[in-house]
Order: sequence, then C-alpha cells, then structure tokens
Amino acid sequence: MKKIYILALLVGGLSLTSCFHKDKPNYQYMADTDMYFPVGYETYQEIPQGNTAFKGNMEAQLPPENTIKRGWMPFAYPNTNEGYEDAKANLKNPLLADSLAIKDHLKEGAALYNIYCMVCHGSEGDGQGILVKREKYLGVPNYKDREITQGSIYYVIYHGRNAMGSYASQITEKERWQVALYVEELRNKLLNK
Amino acid sequence: MASHYEAPIRNPLIVGDKTYHDVTVDVARPVEGKANRLWWIVFSVALSAFLWGLGCIVYTVSTGIGVWGLNKTVGWAWDITNFVWWVGIGHAGTLISAVLLLFRQKWRMAINRSAEAMTIFSVVQAGIFPIIHMGRPWLAYWTMPIPNQFGSLWVNFNSPLLWDVFAISTYLSVSLVFWWTGLLPDFAMLRDRAVKPFQKKIYSLVSFGWSGRAKDWQRFEEVSLVLAGLATPLVLSVHTIVSFDFATSVIPGWHTTIFPPYFVAGAIFSGFSMVNTLLIIMRKVSHLEDYITLQHIELMNLVVMITGSIVGCAYITELFVSWYSGVEYEQYTFLNRATGPYWWAYWMMMSCNVFSPQFMWIKKLRRSILFSFCISIVVNIGMWFERFVIIVTSVHRDYLPSSWTMFSPTFVDIGVYAGTIGFFFVLFLLYARTFPVIAQAEVKSILKSSGEKYKKLREANPNNSH
Repeated sequence: MKKIYILALLVGGLSLTSCFHKDKPNYQYMADTDMYFPVGYETYQEIPQGNTAFKGNMEAQLPPENTIKRGWMPFAYPNTNEGYEDAKANLKNPLLADSLAIKDHLKEGAALYNIYCMVCHGSEGDGQGILVKREKYLGVPNYKDREITQGSIYYVIYHGRNAMGSYASQITEKERWQVALYVEELRNKLLNK
Repeated sequence: MASHYEAPIRNPLIVGDKTYHDVTVDVARPVEGKANRLWWIVFSVALSAFLWGLGCIVYTVSTGIGVWGLNKTVGWAWDITNFVWWVGIGHAGTLISAVLLLFRQKWRMAINRSAEAMTIFSVVQAGIFPIIHMGRPWLAYWTMPIPNQFGSLWVNFNSPLLWDVFAISTYLSVSLVFWWTGLLPDFAMLRDRAVKPFQKKIYSLVSFGWSGRAKDWQRFEEVSLVLAGLATPLVLSVHTIVSFDFATSVIPGWHTTIFPPYFVAGAIFSGFSMVNTLLIIMRKVSHLEDYITLQHIELMNLVVMITGSIVGCAYITELFVSWYSGVEYEQYTFLNRATGPYWWAYWMMMSCNVFSPQFMWIKKLRRSILFSFCISIVVNIGMWFERFVIIVTSVHRDYLPSSWTMFSPTFVDIGVYAGTIGFFFVLFLLYARTFPVIAQAEVKSILKSSGEKYKKLREANPNNSH
C-alpha cells in the first residue's frame, strides 16, 4: 500500500512538471485559437509557402522605382567621382541655418558617430578605431589628412566611398547632417593639435 | 403515564403497519432489486438526450457561440435562462433539507433525500451553462483568483458573474457534503444488508465506516443542524446572487431591487414543483406510497401555492412600480412584455405562475395526485418562461430603438437544454437505483411519533406509552 502511495506521488509530481527543451520554443496552451500568432502580416516575417502575393518569400517588398514618399527627397548627387566633387563643392548643411541649435546637433552627432563610425575611424577621428588597432581591417585614413567638407562627408555617408559602405539605410537625412557636423568638429580638433 | 404528547389533529406521516424493519426493507428494495424494463427504457431515452446535448455542447465549443441564436443585442437568452432555471430548481432541495429542518418539520424526512439529490443534479446542470456560454471556455479558470505569471493578474470582485462562480461552487459543495453526511447511516444500512461482495465493498467505501454509536449520532445531529443553519442563508444568497446578474445592470426591466427575494421565491416555487413531479412518480414506481403520502404532496402543494402567490405579488409590484416610476423606458419594457412580439411568452408565464398555483386553495384539487402532477409540470414551464421573459424581453428592446431586434433559438440552443434535462434524469435514475431514496434513519426517528400504527396504539391505550 505504501509503495502505491509513493508511486502515485511520483507520477503526480511528474505530471506537474512540463518537459520543454531549451533549444525549442516552449509548449503553448491554446495558442492556435487565442491570438498568439498574427493574422495580419508582420514586418520581416517569412511569407508562408503558397502565398503568391509576395515576391521572394518575404514580407519586405521593394517600393516601385522613382516614387517619392512624403517627407523625403531623393539625393541629387550621383554615385560617381563627379558627383563627389560636386557635393564637396556645392552641398551645404541645412542644419547650419539655425545657429542656436548647432550645439544640440553636435551632441546628437557625437552619439551617432560613436555608434556607427567610431569602430573604424576611432573616437578622435584619427583612423585608429578598435578594428584598426586589432588589425582586423587596415587603411582607414585620419580625417586631418583628407581635404573634406560637410558636403563631402554627407556624400560619403550616403553613398559610401572605396572600401566604406553606404550608411544611408542606418541613419536618417537629419542624422547624417548631424554626424557631418561632428566629423568636421573632430577634424578641426585634429588639425589644431 | 403517557410520556408523549402529540396533537390529535396531526395526520400520520407513515401509513401502514410499519415496523423499523419494514422501513429498512422498503427503502432498500429498489437498491437491492433489479431494474425493470421501464427503467431501462426511460434511462435510454434520458441517456440519448444527454448524449445529443453533449454533441451540441461539443459543437458549440468547437465551432463557436454563433451556432446559438444569440445576436449582438440579445447576448443572453437560452443559456442563462436555463442556468437560472436549473439553479432555481435546485433550491427546493436545500430548502426542504435545511429550512424545514430548522422549522422542525417532520414531513421533510421522507422527501429530503430525493430533494437534495435533485439539488445536486440540477446544480450540476446549471453549472454547465456558465462554462459553455463562454466564448473561450478553456480559459474559464481565469475566473478564479489564482496567483499567476501575468504579474498576478486578478479577477474583479465587482461582477455578479464572479459572485456566481463562488455562489454556485459553494452551493454545490455544501449541498454535496450535507447530502452525503445524511447518507452515511443509510449507506451503512445497505452495507450491512448487502450479500454480494461487490455491493458490500462499494457501500462500505461510501458509508465511511459508520457504526452508529451514540457519540456518532450526537455529532451527526449537531453537524446536520449546523449545516442546515449554514445552508439556509446560502440558499437565499445563492439565488440572490444569481438575480444580481440582472438586478445590478442598468437595463430597464432588469434594474430592480425586488429581484433578490422575488428570484428566491420563484426558485422555491419551481423547485418544489420539480420535487413534486419527481416524487409523485417515484412513490409509485418505487412503491413508497406509505412514506411519501398524500399529505406530503398536499404540503408541497401548499408551499407551491404560497411561493406562487409571492411571485404573483412580485409581478404586480413590478407592474405597479413601472407605472409609478414615470420612467418611460421602464414603462415601455412592461408594455412590450405584455403586448410586444413576445406577448405569448409573457402570458404563458403569467398563466402558469400566477393563475395555476391558485387552484391549490381548493382542497380537492391540491389533494389530487394527478392534478398536482400536472400543475407541477405547468409551474416549471411557467418558471422557464419567467426567466426567458425577464432576460430576452428586457434586452431585445431597450434604450436605443436602432438596437431593437428579435431572438429565436437554434436547434443547438434547444439541444443543449434537452441535453441537460437528459443528463439530469440520467443522474436521477441512477441515483434512484443505487441510493437509499428515503432517509430511513430519519424516518425511523419519527416512526413512533408519526407512524400510523403507533398513533393508533396510542389512541387505543391513552395511558400507555410507546
């Protein structure tokens, strides 16, 4: 009789534990009926097999070419050497129009620079980022060695140049100009050293 | 010297030349015998209805509430009607076993066991509806205040629907304990009489080793009295809480303060009628006419008459107040009930509940078994319509005429209801064949005071005591 009790206790105790695997999603209670899974399309979701409304099995579809969304303008300088020279000479930072706000823009620019640029260009802008110091990647120039303007900085962030890729998808237009402001400040510091 | 005085006007509650042994034999006979063909036929019918209802429930839960006839205006109809109807029926059992115990009514003893069984089985039926009328019944456990991983998200204790959960579950458990406690000496009797080992084993298990010692009996009586004292406020509060589902709302026709006592009176009214229906059949088929006598039926008819009159008063009160209130919505609700599209339901309710119990003033009618049986059925039809009228006619036309609509049930609504009736009778028929349907221990306690044989002996020898 005592053995039966112990056995019942064991079975009962085991039934209270759930067997889930760390490398798999856990079991769910009534997940299929109770709105655990979206009915609408979620950003970045994979499109189920057989759904022909989407190209390439993914939710994110490219917009039609030559369309302009509200609050955005296409960048007028083409990704060519002429375009670079043109931007360097003619492209002006619109943020300079409000001189009182420049301090805030610089602060924002510093934060963005330290996220996106510092890893190669170094916190001083001297080309001694952590990847360069650890020799993962070489050939990053010092800002003081290059003749750059805010227009050319913006252009390079937008299109990329040589080994550097475009950062247009990471940061917005305003943020690019903030970074350009900060990069110029770094360059001036390096020149005045 | 005569040690016992009983007023000579009291009629015997146990007729025939009964001894203690006769009581035992009569109560044990249905349990020890075999079911006859009629029992099997009725049982099969009940079981089929139950299984059909089960199918309807499975269909509802797996397909959705939309298979019922509900719409956006009438969100409650047959489901809650049947719920309140079954809860109401259940109330007579507790009333008979608890309230009549407190009032020392000896006539309750022959009927309390079956009345309590009826309570349990009908509360079980009632308990089905709050679950199945949920859109997502698999989350019904969220109605319980259980500590959980949603930051210990709790229930809101302001809803009468939550109070229903507590009321019905407490009611069922207390009734069950009360019933089972009373069953112990009777199960022990069946245990001691059983000759088949299997039956012996079963009745030994369910009688919890009752040996009937003086101390056991003394505690048994105390427990019964305490439970009766607890069950009485419970029985009043449970149906009060059920009535709060409506009375606490803002719907004209629902928002009334009369609902709590009026629903309780209606519950006793319909419950006693159901007891009457069941016992009139049971006394015949189980040959218990000597215990469930015409006097029992007459007394139950009187309770039906009194509670029916209370319900009638409540109807008139509601009508008066709606006129007196000067609230046009309230006035329209009652106009709509009497003359609107559901006029037939209203007049069905009125004729069944207000007029039919008034026949019980006539002695010849209330002492007629056939008439009592018919009226008991009529009352339960009327009480079903009462809940239907209150629920549906109040919501199908209320404040905004643009929301006015009609309700008609689907076969699933009807199937679920028929299924609960089937389930009730499945349980009751099984009960009648396996349980001692009369509390023989209690009946034996009144055998010498209220038995016909002993009454006659006392009359013959006024100076001798028995």
